[in-house]
Amino acid sequence: MSKTSYGRDYEVVQRLRPEPVTDREQLAQGAVQDIDFDIFKHKMHMIALEGKETTMKLGASTAMRFGDVAFGIFTAQGDLAVCATGIYHHAVLGQIPLKYIVKHWADEASVGVREGDSFFYNDPFYGGVHNADMGLAIPVFHGDELICFVGAAVHTGEAGGTEPGGVITSARSKYDEGMLIPPIKIGENFRLKEDLLTMLGAMTRDERTMILDIKARLAAVRIAQRRIQEVVADKGVDFFIGALRKTLTVTGEAARKKIAELNDGVFRQPRFLDSLGTAPGLTKINLTVVKKGERVLLDFSNSSPMAMDRPINTYFQGLIGLTMVYFCGWLFHDLPANNGLLEAVDWKFPDNSLVNAKGDVSTSLAPLTQICFTQGMFLCGARMTYSHDPSRAVAAWFSGFAIPNFGGLNQKGEPIADLTPEINATGCGARYDQDGVDAAGAFFATMSDCSDIETTEEDRPFVYTFRNLFNNSYGHGKFRGGAGVGFGLMVHDTPMLVLGAMGGGTRFPTTLGLFGGNAVPPTFVQYVHNSNLNELMSEADSRLPNNLTAVYEAENPEQGDRHFNETNMTVRPFANGDTYYLGVGGGGGYGDAIEREPAAVIRDLRRGLVSHWAARNIYHVAYDGESLRLDSPATEALRMEVREERKKRGKPYDEFVEEWEQLSPPAELLTYYGSYPDPEAGLSDS
Amino acid sequence: MMNNSIQYTVGIDVGGTFTDFYCAADGVAITTKTPTTHYDLSVGFMQGIRQLAEVHKLPFDAFLGQIVSLRYSTTVGTNVLIERNGPKLGLFTTAGFEDTIFIGRARSWADGLSLQQCRDQARIQKPEPLIEPEMVVGVRERLDYSGKVITPLQREEVLEKLQELVDKGAQGFVVSLLWSFINPQHEKMIRDIIEDEYPEDYLGSMPVILSSAISPKAGEYTRTMTAVVNSYIHGVMSDEINALANELRDHGYTRPLTLVHNTGGTKKASRTRAVLTHNAGPVAGLHGAATLGRLNDEHNIIFTDMGGTSFDIGLIEKGEIKTHEFIPVIDRWRTNIPAIEVKSIGAGGGSIAWINTLMDNAMEVGPQSAGAMPGPACYDQGGQDPTVTDADLLLGLYNPENYLGGEMLLDVDLAHDVISEKIAGPLGIDPLEAAWRIRRLVDARMGHEVYNEVSLKGHDPRNFILLACGGAGGAHACGYAPYIGTQRILVPGQSSVFGAFGASTMQIKEVWERSRAIRMYNWAEQKYLQDLAVFNSVVTSMKKSAIRDLKLEGYDENEIGFNLELEMRYGSQYKLTSVEAPALFLKNSEDVGTLCDSFTQRYSEIYSPEATFPSGGINVETFHLTASIIKPALSLQAADPAGPEPDSAALLCLRPVYWDPQQGFTDTPIYDYSLLRPGNRIRGPAIVEAAQTTYVVAHGWRFTLDNWGSAVIETATGPGDH
Repeated sequence: MSKTSYGRDYEVVQRLRPEPVTDREQLAQGAVQDIDFDIFKHKMHMIALEGKETTMKLGASTAMRFGDVAFGIFTAQGDLAVCATGIYHHAVLGQIPLKYIVKHWADEASVGVREGDSFFYNDPFYGGVHNADMGLAIPVFHGDELICFVGAAVHTGEAGGTEPGGVITSARSKYDEGMLIPPIKIGENFRLKEDLLTMLGAMTRDERTMILDIKARLAAVRIAQRRIQEVVADKGVDFFIGALRKTLTVTGEAARKKIAELNDGVFRQPRFLDSLGTAPGLTKINLTVVKKGERVLLDFSNSSPMAMDRPINTYFQGLIGLTMVYFCGWLFHDLPANNGLLEAVDWKFPDNSLVNAKGDVSTSLAPLTQICFTQGMFLCGARMTYSHDPSRAVAAWFSGFAIPNFGGLNQKGEPIADLTPEINATGCGARYDQDGVDAAGAFFATMSDCSDIETTEEDRPFVYTFRNLFNNSYGHGKFRGGAGVGFGLMVHDTPMLVLGAMGGGTRFPTTLGLFGGNAVPPTFVQYVHNSNLNELMSEADSRLPNNLTAVYEAENPEQGDRHFNETNMTVRPFANGDTYYLGVGGGGGYGDAIEREPAAVIRDLRRGLVSHWAARNIYHVAYDGESLRLDSPATEALRMEVREERKKRGKPYDEFVEEWEQLSPPAELLTYYGSYPDPEAGLSDS
Repeated sequence: MMNNSIQYTVGIDVGGTFTDFYCAADGVAITTKTPTTHYDLSVGFMQGIRQLAEVHKLPFDAFLGQIVSLRYSTTVGTNVLIERNGPKLGLFTTAGFEDTIFIGRARSWADGLSLQQCRDQARIQKPEPLIEPEMVVGVRERLDYSGKVITPLQREEVLEKLQELVDKGAQGFVVSLLWSFINPQHEKMIRDIIEDEYPEDYLGSMPVILSSAISPKAGEYTRTMTAVVNSYIHGVMSDEINALANELRDHGYTRPLTLVHNTGGTKKASRTRAVLTHNAGPVAGLHGAATLGRLNDEHNIIFTDMGGTSFDIGLIEKGEIKTHEFIPVIDRWRTNIPAIEVKSIGAGGGSIAWINTLMDNAMEVGPQSAGAMPGPACYDQGGQDPTVTDADLLLGLYNPENYLGGEMLLDVDLAHDVISEKIAGPLGIDPLEAAWRIRRLVDARMGHEVYNEVSLKGHDPRNFILLACGGAGGAHACGYAPYIGTQRILVPGQSSVFGAFGASTMQIKEVWERSRAIRMYNWAEQKYLQDLAVFNSVVTSMKKSAIRDLKLEGYDENEIGFNLELEMRYGSQYKLTSVEAPALFLKNSEDVGTLCDSFTQRYSEIYSPEATFPSGGINVETFHLTASIIKPALSLQAADPAGPEPDSAALLCLRPVYWDPQQGFTDTPIYDYSLLRPGNRIRGPAIVEAAQTTYVVAHGWRFTLDNWGSAVIETATGPGDH
């Protein structure tokens, strides 16, 4: 009789740290010699790298082609031991579906886990983020013994929800999101099951991309499977099992050692989100990091409650996944990337919270909530590490998304549903000794790529009207954040297209500065129906904007039905010739803007990367408006004046608090916030 | 005695430390080296030619007069990029896209770096641009994906922007507009305007490079950077190469100087695009490997070159060199040149061993290298870190008094001390075991990298032989071969000048590429392409260009051989898979079906049948036409074979060598390469010392000298063992 409950498994998702060492693993890892282990680690890394490259090469959706692929080798219990990626959260979270498979399907006669099987999943409850992130994993056997899993996970452009492109801003529950597939077997005996592929294809708007992405993942994991079996044939199965486990063990020890080197302390960074999906609203993600000894605790107490009919909820495991992005890329960049790192991390998530979704609530915009949180992790991490190694203290990269999503038919009449790739061109946060990098990538997928415009236009029905860096797109500071990229799209040569957007930070910044640095300015969408831009372009009108800043200047000759929208925008029809403008932001600033080298401000002015207003009112630099010649003495005087004014504005802390506590956002924005200012105030601990 | 009837063929390869020369005539070859003169490469070049003349006992000018071919693999272009001494360039691009080269597809900070170098996100940096932002101008114009003009180009605006760039000191121009590879009309108009304003007879005349001419392929960032890099190195390279050619002519050389291209061919210097000379040396080495392979009837070869700081990997499949780089990076810039892929990793004799204290005292080797200066500790040039060469020396594999033919004395004590202090001490092991571990780890790492490179291209590395060259290739090949699974190794006699040897074997060849997206199997309609005209017109136009170019090079149309490769994909995949077209032109839809089947077959071989998806639509994206002039191959004279037993004089001595911790030191026979005869066999463990390299024959391997002076090292149970 089946013991399957058919419901979600709340136990298995808790198992993010390495599973207890089995007797077999214990025995085997004790016998692994140092030199053999050093060689093994490199070989496994090479296998993972080959898998990552193969997945990326063969994938078809935007994220697959220009994004980053999480490719991992997992122990037989499902723990991530080796990965090659910059999109670490998918790699680490890839363990949950495997632990699910081991728990539910290994001994289930109607399913089983056998050589030649392949498993697919996209339910974010197991994948941790949202349902456009899909994974495929296979078991690897030696004889009858399951020795490991190999898996590849990455965002596919379409998951069949009520809006195209895998992000449903209007979702009211998980049933608006489209496919929610828990880990299921989709192939046996080294063959994918055509009926299941047909079903998965039928559940989406662009079945071709869906199937190509699945096959890309499968091709890559099969190659890795062969490589692993060669290693086992060469070194023996005991060695393989022992060495794989040892990789986790030494990583965990190293992570604890590294944490122990930092000063103990409590670091707080409450984070706020301004969007509920289709409407504005304030919610709080209350992050407190407690570093003590060789461990850090992430405490999310006092965060906003679950948003019962909005898509901004996140599963707690997704936030741990995003924590790993920061750990692997910034804090533990010199350690292997696997979930052994979580041996140094504890977490506390309140029940019924926005950050601990349960039941049928939607998590379609969980990525937004998660990167909003990660920005807090950057800020806490910077304070936690500065005294030990200031080079680790980096202001956050842009944390607001700002992605167009679209669906319809392309210029060849083929169905399409996806995102554009500019999310991979955000600015990097400023550092203690230098500016951030302009258009550096996406912090959560650092090896990603914003594509060539020609590649996008080749099979997407757009003409980019511009794609350039734009001024003030970053946080100002002693060192400024890297600039972001603004772009304009004109819909072109399509019989049907809907276009929307996903992101946050329209009403207040999602990306704050560090140590006195400024935040990244808000982003929003502008679109123009019945635009005359096509005519203006055909006349080569010299007033047409070359960058996002120029779109908002008085000289812009474009006419039409102009609309402005917050960055979360539910899709709507667009006709040929309609235009759409958006920008991905830059990085947060570092340090006080009036400490910035005046020459650097002038350089940015010449480059068009800072406005005259900001140069005069934020940096307080004196210069000749035409020649841009710097007036150093006047600048120094201006800055002294600013310092004096600041002193005058100073007030005792208690007085400040008293005034501050009188303030509150409008009540209509607090519907989903919980009790203001402390969301959990008055609630019981349950 | 002077013989003025002999005709010499000379290959020259510039390396970081030495410039290598390989000179062949009537099947007999001599080699020489000169220190690379980075300040002016022609100084080392001419010095090497003088040395060759001296060996041949010919006056310099007379010797130059008897050279029929000079094939030169130069690093002039690379040096320009490193030293950043190229001209101040101006870039014309489509208005609204002026930042394309600075955005650099966002990840340009990672281009040219290994994944490991990219891990630390806190310290990333984009490289300094080759063109300053103020030197980029946008002109109002726009084409769509089909090449249709949406915004016409305005002559007045071009003139205005041209003046702006000239006023800012532009010394040359790059023109790169969106979709110009489909329709170059606007790029050509800009060139015409510039040339009208600054005709050739004006002092202000400046070179104008069009992206559509240098690289008519999709992808504006890579196309622009290809044109920018080419323009940046063009002027300096042109000056240096012309000066060299003039100097050669002044001294009696009457033929054209030919340059080695990274696309796998050579062309006259005067008809060479600068960007195609980057990293040509390793490609030349790959050609040398193919030549030696043919002599040994080996057609599947993994080429490896282990030097002091880098380890190069290339592939020869069925006698052909055709794997092009997926993302060719020059310096730190993505380009789209059709370069032959030779992967380089940071591993070599100078790789530094260190202890990762965080990771349970794990030992690591590289990626840091001691380089040529200070070099390994045993060089006694101030090196303070233990390197692979120090380990090899301590193990007894190198003769401290006969390293590089005795030109450099090595200090074993320094090697011992640094390994003791920095590796053995922290690990609590014997220094010899530490040295053994260093060697084993670097061998494993190189072997894994080779395995990965070969398997990524869809091949089983075990079906290939391994060719090992470079200063340390012979000493380590038996160490890294097991990680590849190969049982047969070829270490060329010309190992230390292998790039120069390879250059002398290369043929006249050029590659024409063009992007044109054509749906061969239409997904929406589920049927094959019916209208073949577009496909055939692209091939016709490329073929015409090739014939015109090679005619100008002095060749007749009927001497030219053509080969068409197509880069294809399913649906909107990222990666294009190369397929050799059965014929240059398509005659009917049956041909289209055959081509689609070839693609699926190739795809299946590389990525498994499960991954194929023919019903998802099959596109041709890029045409790749190779035109070659086939000339008689370089002939090498085979020496008369002798018996398997080496002459007793060849055995120099027995030397204690530490092969592994179980056996400790073992007295190992040391042979003098120069006294071995073809056919001589030596069973491992043994060491063969040559002037420029050391052959380490490990336990279980057998060394045989072949008729061309190469060492064939096979496993005792491998093929050919009796």
